[in-house]
Parts: sequence; C-alpha cells; structure tokens
Amino acid sequence: MAQKTIEEIINSEVILSVEDLVIKFNLRGKELTAIRGASLDLHKGESLAIVGESGSGKSVFNKSFMGLLDANGRIESGSIIYKGQDLSKYKTEDEWIKIRGKEIAMVFQDPMTSLNPLKTVGKQVQESIELHQNLKGEEAKKLAIEILNDVGITEPERRYKQYPHEFSGGMRQRVVIAIAVACNPNILICDEPTTALDVTIQAQILQLLKNLQDKYDLTIIYITHDLGVVANVADRIAVMYAGDIIELGSSEEVFFDPKHPYTWALLSSLPQLGIKGEALYSIKGTPPNLFKEIKGDAFAPRNPHALKIDFVERPPYFEVSPTHKARTWLLDSRSPKVEPPLLIKKMQEMGAKRGDIID
Amino acid sequence: MKYVLIRLLRSVLTLVIVVTVVFLLMRMMPIEGYFGASFDKLDEAQKTAKLENLGLLDPWYIQLKNFYNDLIKGDFGESITYRPKVAITKILGEKLITSLRFGMASLGISLVVGLSLGVLMARYKGKFWDKLGTCYVVGANAVPVVIYYLLIQVFFTQIFNLPLLYDKTDPKSWILPVFCLSLVNIAYYAMWIRRYMVDELNKDYVRLARAKGLKNKEIMIRHVMRNAFVPMAQYLPASILYTVSGSIYVESLFSIPGTGGLLVTAIQRQDNTLVQALVLLYSSIGIIGLMLGDILMATFDPRIKLGNEGGSR
Ligand SMILES: Nc1ncnc2c1ncn2[C@@H]1O[C@H](COP(=O)(O)OP(=O)(O)OP(=O)(O)O)[C@@H](O)[C@H]1O
Ligand SMILES: [Mg+2]
Repeated sequence: MAQKTIEEIINSEVILSVEDLVIKFNLRGKELTAIRGASLDLHKGESLAIVGESGSGKSVFNKSFMGLLDANGRIESGSIIYKGQDLSKYKTEDEWIKIRGKEIAMVFQDPMTSLNPLKTVGKQVQESIELHQNLKGEEAKKLAIEILNDVGITEPERRYKQYPHEFSGGMRQRVVIAIAVACNPNILICDEPTTALDVTIQAQILQLLKNLQDKYDLTIIYITHDLGVVANVADRIAVMYAGDIIELGSSEEVFFDPKHPYTWALLSSLPQLGIKGEALYSIKGTPPNLFKEIKGDAFAPRNPHALKIDFVERPPYFEVSPTHKARTWLLDSRSPKVEPPLLIKKMQEMGAKRGDIID
Repeated sequence: MKYVLIRLLRSVLTLVIVVTVVFLLMRMMPIEGYFGASFDKLDEAQKTAKLENLGLLDPWYIQLKNFYNDLIKGDFGESITYRPKVAITKILGEKLITSLRFGMASLGISLVVGLSLGVLMARYKGKFWDKLGTCYVVGANAVPVVIYYLLIQVFFTQIFNLPLLYDKTDPKSWILPVFCLSLVNIAYYAMWIRRYMVDELNKDYVRLARAKGLKNKEIMIRHVMRNAFVPMAQYLPASILYTVSGSIYVESLFSIPGTGGLLVTAIQRQDNTLVQALVLLYSSIGIIGLMLGDILMATFDPRIKLGNEGGSR
C-alpha cells in the first residue's frame, strides 16, 4: 500500500472545508433534507472514500462543491470553504465556472453514457484542455494524446480519432478520467467510478486513479457504497448515513476498529468478509424518511443497540483518536458497554495484530 | 462509403420495383382514361384501333419495355384529358417549379424560425418562452389549417393591403401564401427540435460537460444543438423534395398554378398518363428523399453502419 501515513495527511493543509452543511430539495411542494449538517475537512493529497448506502446523500454532498445540484435543490446553511472562498454562497454560472473543472473535477458512474456519442474521444479530451490549460489547436491535441496515453489507452494517436462507441466500458471510463484530468484540477471527485464495470476492470481503474494521483498531484474523493472497493486506495474513510457523516477515520481505523453501529452493519454486510456457508448479513429496516425532521440519531430505529437517548438527542462527535471520530452515544462514558457483533470483534483482533489488510 | 453505395443500390432497386408496379397497375385501369370526352362517340373498332395505336394491345412485357425506353428518354407521354395532346413534361415542368419556389421559400423560413423557436423553448424549458411556444404549436396543430388560412386571407389583405391572389409579376403576392405555408411547418420544426434537445439535455454527457467547466451556452451550441439536429436531418431531404407536390389548400386559395391537388384532378378526369407520371414522380421523391436522409444522417452520426440502421434512436 502506497498510501501516505495518516499523520502526514492530517498535518497537510486543509484544501476543502465543509461545515454544518444543510442541503434541501423541494419535491412536489414538500421539502426534503438530503444533507443534515455534515462537516468534513479534506486534506491536500489524500484520498478519501465516502461510503454509505444508496440515498445517503453522497452524490448530493459532493455535487454541492461544484454547483451541480439539481434545480430544485439548495444549500440551506453551512459553508464550503475552498481557497478562502465560501462556495456555498456561489449563485451564478460565472462564479461556478471558475471552480468546475479548473479546481474540482468529477468522474461519473456510467461511462457508457458520459461521453458525447457524436464527438471523437480526442476532441472531448481536448475540449477540457482548451478550456483550462490555455492551449489551442495542435498543442492541445498533443497534450490530449499524452493524457490518453497516461490513462492507459494504447495507440493514443489512433484512438484520438475514434468515437465513444468504438470503446469498451472500461476504456470509456478511462476516457472520462482523461477528460477530468485534462482540466488539471486540484480535487478529483469520483462518483462510483467503477460501479458499472466488471470486477477485473474495477481494480484496473482504481489502480489507474492511484497512479494519476501521484502524477497529477490530485486530492481524490471516492464515492461508493462498497467499502471493499476502496479498502486499498483510500487513506481515510467517511461513513455517510441519512445525509450526515457518522464516522470518519483512517482506513485502518474504520475497518478494524469501527465504532458506529451503522459502520458495524455496513462492514458485516461486505461479501468479502462473509463466512462461507452463512447467509450474508444485511441491514434491517430502511433509511429514514428525509421529508420528516429526524430527532436523535438517524440510525436509531434500525439499531439493535439503540439507547433511549438515541431517539431524543443527536449525538455529537466523540473522538476515538486524533484521526478517528464517530457520532454515537455508545462512545459516551455514561453509556453501557455494548459489544460489537462477532465479525467486527474478529476484525478488531486482526487489526490489533496489525496483520495484513484485506486485499 | 460502402454504406452510401449499398444504400444507393437499394434505392435504385426499390425505384425499379415501384415504377414497374405502378405501370402494371395503370394497365389495369379502365380504358376510358385513354379516350377523353370522345369515348362515348366511338364504336368498338375505332376504340380498338386507337388502343392499338397507343401500343396498349401489345403483350405487357413489350409495353413495359417501351415504357422504360420512353422513361429513360424523359418522355412521359401526352396528357389525354387534362390538357389534351400536351406533353406531360411540359405541363408538369412549370407547375413543379412554381410549387417548388413557394415550398422552398416556406421551408427556408420554417427552418430558421421553427428551429430558433424550438431552441429557445428547450433553453427555457417550462418558462415563458416554452409556454408561449407550446401554445403556438398546439394551436397550429389543433385548428384546421383552412380556418386560419381564410382568416389570414381576409384580415391580412385588409390590414397590410396585400394582394389577395397570386400574380406572377407582383412579388408582394408571395407574402401571404408563403406565410400560410410556413405556419404549420414552423410549429412542426419547433416541436421536434425542442423535443430532441430536451432529450439530449437529460443525457449524462451534458452533466459531464457541465462538470468540466463548459458554460450552458457552450454546452447548448457545441453539444446539444448539434446532437439534436441529427435525427431531424434524416427527414430534411425528403421535406425539401416534397415541396414540389405543392399544397392543395394554399394553392387553390391564392390561385397559384402549382401541382397542389393536381393528382386528384387527374384521377377525377381519368387522365391515365398524367396520373401515372405523378404517381411515379411522388414515389421516386419519397425513395430518393429517404435515401438522402439516411446518407446525411450517416455522415453526422458515426454509429450508423449497415445492419444497425436506426439503432441510434
Ligand atoms: N433533485 C432531487 N430532488 C429531490 N430529492 C433528491 C434530488 N436529488 C437527490 N435527492 C434525494 O437526496 C437523497 C440523497 O441522494 P444522493 O443521490 O446523494 O444519494 P447517494 O448516496 O448518491 O445514493 P446512490 O448510492 O444511489 O448514488 C436521496 O434521498 C434522494 O432521493
Ligand atoms: Mg450517488
């Protein structure tokens, strides 16, 4: 694992700082709160994974950094500080244009539809370059070919002139990544970059992103609902539930010493950790209704270990270590001791031995 | 290139089949159509002699051969009842050109105005322009054309003092017919380009284009408009060619000597050769138009290859 040490990351500058972000949507006259006061500091050069089940708000959270919320959505309160500017106050296209691509770029889930079918792949990469790198014509083309090569496309000169339909899914995702990288951003957000791809390709794409991170000096956010996928590439993991980050720590801390019952549940449902012959764990119940105000801990109704207070008051963050924190009353010194599930205990033991991390 | 060639060959083949079928069908029509008003006055022998003269008693394959021979020379025969003894080509020539002129003028205007309106509607979807445009599109489609043609004729001639009837020598007499012809077409183009643009706007590549820092305007012009135009390009050549068939309402309303309604008249008057020529003309236009449309579309859309035509839609 070529990751930086967690100390290096925590000590490097904060490149993006989100504080108490609340995002709401209007839907058929009703109001839905998708992000409920989430905070996050992103450090320069790290790769951070945001995990959480479908609908937990991962995409909405990240889209808000680029002004890409759907028209019915808005930032209600909170701040997103980037380079001394509060992005949450941005309104006009002219303001966002300075951020999109140039500062923060994004790779989306479905490579099959993310490219314009009527433009050559090369032209689409070149478009990014011409927008953000002050190059035109032949020079821009040269760089586009170079970047295509960097993302692992063989014979880039020939492929430059081809159309998206001549590429396989994995190859198209490489092109999409090339388009993002060609913007020369500081932060790259990958929203489920491998979900639509088959397993072997998934690994290749993740490896590619890791290589590009060094070469292009990127800070990467991986969005995924599959913890297993990012175990090898992420320095830190943020666990999202119902629009809030409920646990944040280094990959090892979250994997081997998770504190929040939701993280326990999430880990227990990983197929990689399943015990042969036994049914895979699945989380009971459904995520909360975001149209209603949520009292206490959002996970409480699905939490077999829920305490009385969980239904009344929202837990604050409890620090487990300088790099690890979780929002759960279980960490309060006054709570009764609750044993994590067996599987998690086994993980903790493994972690204590500092054995090899699951590959 | 191969696509174009094969598409061309296929069209020629279709054309030959259509021409042959039309010809054979025409031979099955009642023979009155070859005599005109004199039919009742002639006795059997005279009729037979006349048919013999026209070569209509020869075996069908000889007739077919002769027919193709004439066709290749550009000879469609003579009109029988519509304008007796005048060459079909001469009758049609002027009429086609008149209709074509009106049609093209209207098509040009419809494309420019209709596409602009549609683009505007897509750009401001759900807002004022879209709603206004939708009213217009619905109105233009729902109200029978004759009604507003008449209204236009009545009011515009008074308000703007424009001539009521077409007059070859007066350019002002063009305005109202072209306007009438364009009204529905504008709505048609506006509706389709809007629809295709809204389709495109919802696609993921637009999201990626926005995320990489393109402005809305740039996305519209560089990506969305172009892509939305491709499916429309398919019908453009046919629309252009079909202008020669004129409009029955507008042409009769403004007394324009075009081809509008000519086919109906020819059938009523049982002018077999004229009917034959018109049917051939219109069906060839259809076939050629479709072929050109497909070729045009293939030049825009790299995904179209033989075997998966239309697979892109
Ligand atoms: N335009 C919108 N209008 C209304 N609600 C929305 C809109 N966009 C997102 N939401 C809601 O916000 C919540 C978070 O959605 P989001 O797409 O961020 O989830 P996610 O974590 O990315 O899930 P997935 O893993 O399925 O991508 C969901 O409940 C969703 O229904
Ligand atoms: Mg998502």
